[in-house]
Amino acid sequence: MSDPLAVEFQHVSKTFGNRNVLVDVSFKLGEGEALCILGRSGTGKTVTLKLMDGLLKPDSGKVCIESEDIAQVGEKDLSRVRRHIGFLFQSGALFDSFTVGENLALPLHRLDKTKSLPEIKQVIDETLKRVGLDHDKDKMPAELSGGMSKRAGLARALVLNPKLLLADEPTSGLDQITASEIDNLLIKVKKELHTTLVIVTHDVRSARRVADHIAILDQGRLVGFGTASELEKSDNEVVRQLVSESCI
Amino acid sequence: MENEYFAFWASNREFAKSAVLMLGDFFTFIGKVSCFGLKALVGAFQPPLEWEFFLGQIEETGWRSLPLILAAGFALGVVMSMHTRGTLVQFGAEAMIPTLQSGAFFNELGPLVTALLVAGRVGAAIGAGLTNMRVTEQIDAIESLSVDSFKMLVVTRIVACIFVLPLLTVFMDFASLAGGFFSEHFTSHISLQLYMTSAFKTVEWANFIPPTVKTSVFGFIIGTVSGYFGYTTNEGSQGVQRAATNSVVLSSLLIIVVDVILVKVIFFFFPGQAI
Repeated sequence: MSDPLAVEFQHVSKTFGNRNVLVDVSFKLGEGEALCILGRSGTGKTVTLKLMDGLLKPDSGKVCIESEDIAQVGEKDLSRVRRHIGFLFQSGALFDSFTVGENLALPLHRLDKTKSLPEIKQVIDETLKRVGLDHDKDKMPAELSGGMSKRAGLARALVLNPKLLLADEPTSGLDQITASEIDNLLIKVKKELHTTLVIVTHDVRSARRVADHIAILDQGRLVGFGTASELEKSDNEVVRQLVSESCI
Repeated sequence: MENEYFAFWASNREFAKSAVLMLGDFFTFIGKVSCFGLKALVGAFQPPLEWEFFLGQIEETGWRSLPLILAAGFALGVVMSMHTRGTLVQFGAEAMIPTLQSGAFFNELGPLVTALLVAGRVGAAIGAGLTNMRVTEQIDAIESLSVDSFKMLVVTRIVACIFVLPLLTVFMDFASLAGGFFSEHFTSHISLQLYMTSAFKTVEWANFIPPTVKTSVFGFIIGTVSGYFGYTTNEGSQGVQRAATNSVVLSSLLIIVVDVILVKVIFFFFPGQAI
């Protein structure tokens, strides 16, 4: 891990009511690397992503993005940090009263004040082309299929050329071909733009294809972190089960 | 006597305990909704102002409610005219029908019915719409763009309701007069000029402006209550349903209760109205 750090969790804990969702989680991820977070449902995977984007604050510990503890920064600094983070939500989370093009325009209008309207239009066209939706700019989210929604959500996450892309189950609910297309897109983004990826997934095949590192969460604890082959040799049975080829 | 009093409470301790808890929950809820509304009012004056979203809400709340308001106002005007005619004819006072109609609608029926109709249409839409946005992570997506989702989604809706209610009330008032004229014209062949002259004979600004302006308070109630249920609920499709129902029920109830207070306030500042 010679690259500078993109993400660092230091003893992060988070509870909701009486439920410990994350317990003393620590890991580091270098710039341009891809991390897939695996684990059973309700083990704190999505919470981990939301902590990275400052949507949630940890009860204790530090969440550092490019060495800056985002739990401690004010709104203005958080906005500056978020300028470099793209978030692909599980359902795509497209704004249902906007067209696909308008969904992509919103981050550009709000977070990038340097671009003129023609430049914004050009960026939107280029980004939609990158995800294969260049003919769907004027469609409403309700008119899109599941796979198209995910790709449109990915386009919105990529429109600002983020240094860090957070993706929450990008391939869930998709057929194998579409899921593979999404994986290819993520790999392309990582290679071409040197974007750091943090992906929450249940799809072991996808994790093995995309990830440099895999993190395993079990009952809020980080029980495994490493490459797929390293984790296959883990003493922890949950880790071995989750990364094993037989899970595919 | 004192012993009986203590014996009553001792035997009903559980009931008393749950009653106190319920009362506590009720006041906590009222406090939360009030803070929510206050935060929205403060937010409305703090830049950046979300003009684009505000205008969108004006269209959604006002323009799209207009057909409902006009149709309801017209129908109510016809019905009211038909009902009052039967009684007033017995006293030879059918010439008073337009005056009665304008007085009833400008003072009370117009504002109240408009508010209740908007609470049904817009309140449900705000409650269900915001809950759906929460469930489908659209609100998180807005926050992830460092946009204040409360301001963008809630403040704009509340302010739009405040602006739009008085305008819709004016449309309701005049639609009801049109309905009343329509009914009277076919019954007694009264001319439009005579009907309008008679309708506006006793109407003063004090009969028209305060009751119309008070609907801004109703708009605030609709926006705040529905916004609160919509923005704070996060329980899947059942949550959407519950938020929509709660928004309409509580908004409607509060509108009727607050109307009593506002009428008293109007009577205090415009004593002539109370006569």
